[in-house]
Amino acid sequence: MKLPAAFRSSKGLIGAVLVLMILLVAIIAPLVIPPDMATQMDMRARLSPPTLAHPLGTDQLGRDLMYRVLLGAHTSIYIATAAVLMSIVIGLPLGLISGYVGKTTDNILMRLVDTLLAFPALLLALTISAVLGPNLQNTIIAIGIAFTPFLARIIRGEALRVAQMPYVEAARTAGNSDTRLIVRHILPNIMPAVIVQSTISLAFAILAEAGLSFLGLGTQPPDASWGLMIQASRDYLDRAPWTALVPGAAVALTVLGLNMFGDALRDALDPRARKGAT
Amino acid sequence: MPDGSPLVSIDNLRVEFRGEDGPIVGVEDVSFSIKPGETVCVVGESGSGKSVTSLSLMRLVEFGGGRIAGGKLEFARDSGVLDVADADPEIMQQIRGNEIGMIFQEPMTSLNPVFTVERQMTDGLRLHRGLSQSKARARALELLKQVRIPEPERRLKQYPHELSGGMRQRVVIAMAMACEPRLLIADEPTTALDVTIQAEILALIDRLKRETGMAVLFITHDMAVVAQMADRVVVMFRGNLVEEGPVEQIFTNPQQDYTKALLAAVPRLGEMRGKPAPEPMRLVGQSPVEADLKPARKPEPLLEVQNLTTRYPVKGGVFRRPVANVHAVEDVSFTINKGETLALVGESGCGKSSCGRSILRLTEPTSGKVLLDRTDIIAMNDRDLRRRGWRDMQMVFQDPFASLNPYMRLKDQVAEPLMNYGLASGSELKDRIATLFDHVELPRSFMTRFPHELSGGQRQRIAIARALAVNPKLIVADEAVSALDVSVQAQVLNLMMELQSEFGISFLFISHDMAVVERVSHRVGVMYLGRLVETGSRAQVFENPQHSYTRSLMSAVPVADPTRKTIRDDLNFRPIPSPVFPLGHEPGPSEYTEVAPGHLVLKDNKT
Amino acid sequence: MSYILNRILSMLLTLFLISAITFAVTNILPGDVAMMIMGTQSNPEALEGLRRSLGLNDPLLVQYWRWISGMLTGDWGTSLVFKEPIGPLILQKMTASAMIVVFSMTIALTCAVPLGVWAAMHPNKWQDTTASSAALLGVSLPDFFWGIMLILLFARWLGWLPSSGFVDPREDFLLAARHALLPSLALGLGLMAHLTRMTRATMTGILNQEFIRVARAKGLGERTVVWNYGLANAVGPVMTVAGLQVGYLFGSIIVIESLFNYTGMGWLTYQALLNRDIPLIQASVFVIAGVVMLANLIVDLLYVLVDPRIRLS
Repeated sequence: MKLPAAFRSSKGLIGAVLVLMILLVAIIAPLVIPPDMATQMDMRARLSPPTLAHPLGTDQLGRDLMYRVLLGAHTSIYIATAAVLMSIVIGLPLGLISGYVGKTTDNILMRLVDTLLAFPALLLALTISAVLGPNLQNTIIAIGIAFTPFLARIIRGEALRVAQMPYVEAARTAGNSDTRLIVRHILPNIMPAVIVQSTISLAFAILAEAGLSFLGLGTQPPDASWGLMIQASRDYLDRAPWTALVPGAAVALTVLGLNMFGDALRDALDPRARKGAT
Repeated sequence: MPDGSPLVSIDNLRVEFRGEDGPIVGVEDVSFSIKPGETVCVVGESGSGKSVTSLSLMRLVEFGGGRIAGGKLEFARDSGVLDVADADPEIMQQIRGNEIGMIFQEPMTSLNPVFTVERQMTDGLRLHRGLSQSKARARALELLKQVRIPEPERRLKQYPHELSGGMRQRVVIAMAMACEPRLLIADEPTTALDVTIQAEILALIDRLKRETGMAVLFITHDMAVVAQMADRVVVMFRGNLVEEGPVEQIFTNPQQDYTKALLAAVPRLGEMRGKPAPEPMRLVGQSPVEADLKPARKPEPLLEVQNLTTRYPVKGGVFRRPVANVHAVEDVSFTINKGETLALVGESGCGKSSCGRSILRLTEPTSGKVLLDRTDIIAMNDRDLRRRGWRDMQMVFQDPFASLNPYMRLKDQVAEPLMNYGLASGSELKDRIATLFDHVELPRSFMTRFPHELSGGQRQRIAIARALAVNPKLIVADEAVSALDVSVQAQVLNLMMELQSEFGISFLFISHDMAVVERVSHRVGVMYLGRLVETGSRAQVFENPQHSYTRSLMSAVPVADPTRKTIRDDLNFRPIPSPVFPLGHEPGPSEYTEVAPGHLVLKDNKT
Repeated sequence: MSYILNRILSMLLTLFLISAITFAVTNILPGDVAMMIMGTQSNPEALEGLRRSLGLNDPLLVQYWRWISGMLTGDWGTSLVFKEPIGPLILQKMTASAMIVVFSMTIALTCAVPLGVWAAMHPNKWQDTTASSAALLGVSLPDFFWGIMLILLFARWLGWLPSSGFVDPREDFLLAARHALLPSLALGLGLMAHLTRMTRATMTGILNQEFIRVARAKGLGERTVVWNYGLANAVGPVMTVAGLQVGYLFGSIIVIESLFNYTGMGWLTYQALLNRDIPLIQASVFVIAGVVMLANLIVDLLYVLVDPRIRLS
């Protein structure tokens, strides 16, 4: 309903276009680029600067950076999206129950969430990933769990706010069951906050995945990942700075797009930002 | 300055705001003047541009994204007449707080929460008068005495949150008066205050005006306040001046239809004297509403509230355990007859809303009985309450913008109770919804709309339609018209009275507005600190108030009649004590004296 | 007073929960300490013997009790990788990390607050657009990318600063500071961007409040209104956000210290995680979470000083 407003600001529009472009790349690249294009080693052109044959240059093994960065988009977006989805799937019911039921349930759940929030998210993700053994699936789980407390907190706050709105009380006296109350009246009204938070979480998840992979506790070779590419570039920085710049720019553009779109969404959807129209 | 020349003269003022799709006009074309020492009231409903006009005079509109797009704002300074509209920012800083003082609507947020009162009162003095801190402090003390704040020395050291709303507004006024301005702009200074505090603040402003000879530009939406305060009145509507004139003339002989309509919509305290039943208001340009609201010859009780008590725990500590109780409702009993309206009146925090919410069990009462048609509501479990309790009683809430789900179509919101209670389905459901829209006088085309497409009054009509859907025996209206502009308020009140006469619904009408209550109620209960201090028929309570609190409440209500000035300087109301008590505190029961049949007055040692 | 007491009691409860969660998470680890010590090829009987002597066959609750009482009495065990007692090891590394955390927080706050206020003073004007865009770009880049850029610029191309290593400030303070500068900058830039955004949002909210209008109506100049009336109200919220960012910093140091070979707490934790040094992981994670919580407690207590509403309630 208010969604189109997010596209009206130039920030929202640029953000949306960026996100859309990267999403398209993430989906289409693995379909049209043969997988060996990213692993093919051109031994005569190791650490080659951008040329006609390799528009974004090559890495230390002579692999084409353009193909790798395009295919890396898929890994990053896939992990980030799955992790955020996971944190929503866990955090949404937790937050809703905590905010709606209240009392002891709320006290216990929120105490737990507060405790988890004392762990730096990246540390939590790294520990979980190390414990489970680093691979693609466990990276998703690690980031997903690490992000859940944030989301649960925000959803609880929203649920608390919405549950005491007169329209929810009116809906109670209109004979709605608790389930219907939550599904029809509370959930739709906390969705704007969930959408905004998810967009921002996606941005953070991309950064977290890059960080985990950079440390070798995330995506593992031979999967292409932006974090791994930056990690590999460390030893060749002065000879071939583009090996770091190319994946770095990819991360930055993606996160920037998500943040811009998230900001615009918040301005358009956040009930607290919408006040004071008179 | 020659005698008779104006202090301020506003000529063809036009103010625009930046909008997403080009400029939005806040004030289109307004001209009026203010003479030294007079009070000019600018009155209008929301969106009339009255506040924008006053902010323009201080050139504060610019900070809100506005721009003075045309016209002159001439202000007579000692050094000559200055057009404020294109004065230098530096000159404006010299004028603000020095030659023109201003007070605002929200006393709770008007003071900087992290600075002491002293710091906030003295910085203007040091700036404009170049006083030393100790001299500025002495002057601040003098000002606090002038606005009659108790214990002024102590107040200087305090932070705003330690003061009550009324005291904060006095501090803001003292601050505005610091440099003895020639003009005081008051922008809805009492709208957020309770009626007794409003009376004190109005009296204070009036006294300061007389003592210092300053002029006052008073912005308000309340015709009753206008009648009490104004020498001259400016009526505004949608950014334009409608009518201007001396206060008596505006009230007795208004020229413009809009002014007439505005005045007709204002209930006047005392105008129901001698009338046996509530009466709908006669609104200009509308056919009179027919409603027979005479009480039944043999009244049948519908709702019986017995010894209702509601306490909220105040939680604290690591484990968020209760550490004290707010005694919101304390041993309250009353009866509402079928087809009648009982009004609960009182100031904020008196427990009237908690009482209404407890009856519907939106808030769980601590003890007491609520019988609706002899069925005990309190004894019901959640399921029975949902299946049967709310089938017979519904609620209409205060804030029209919060009482409808923004993500549901209007017809679905009205349909919910019908479907949940199995009252209608299929094509019958559609018909019922359409009829309900007819009842609340909204076009059927609104059925597919979303709440944000409606005005406040229209939303409140939908809220009433939703409550009406189950054919309830009782509707609890919690400040249901308080957030509406006065003309819309009158229409919604008339609608409620019409529905009452048509369907025989009983109302529990919760309100802080004595004049509205007098208009709509059969019986009245006055609440103070959780207790019902006086209850009786409308005539008994309004024409023969017995409890001291009822009397002071009545004396504080401004009357929309300039010939009946109720603003007096000797007003000194007792501040309302805190309703928070330690755990286990058990105050005594409410005991009443029956001064006349059905007219009960609380024995006073209990409050 | 009761507020402070409550906060401290609440912290102790959280600390207990932190220890429980830390212990629980690290005990899901496949493989165990005994195998780590003796290697995977060791004979099963010897392994079983070591398990028994280490108490690894006891119920988890007993093991937890032994661990937590050890932590509380100062017996933190021995690192499997470093073959050193964990307590002194962590203390030493924590000191190294404290230096870059404090450095980066200082850098971030001194730049972010004025920048954020400046942006809030001119909403939607070029000042705001510039500051906000820069901040948005700042929060969108991973810290290690900042780190790599800084290494390229200051170490490789300009050659002004060392790109790797840690020097104890007690030996040579200047050299230590030179080594700490790049990691601190790498941490501080993202933080600064984040704090700029927060300050701007907070100040924008404050500048729209009634008391600001009242201050203007008193004739106070815009400078006093913003930097005095406005900022005094922003100190608390900005401080709170900065406190919360300590947690973010202790996550980021794992990456940054590894990148710069700066042997602090982040580097230590990373080594522990890579080598599955379970006792060291448990202790490091517990200590980091504890320090983060302590930082937030300190902020809460400082809040009492800047906000009379809490101080006097």
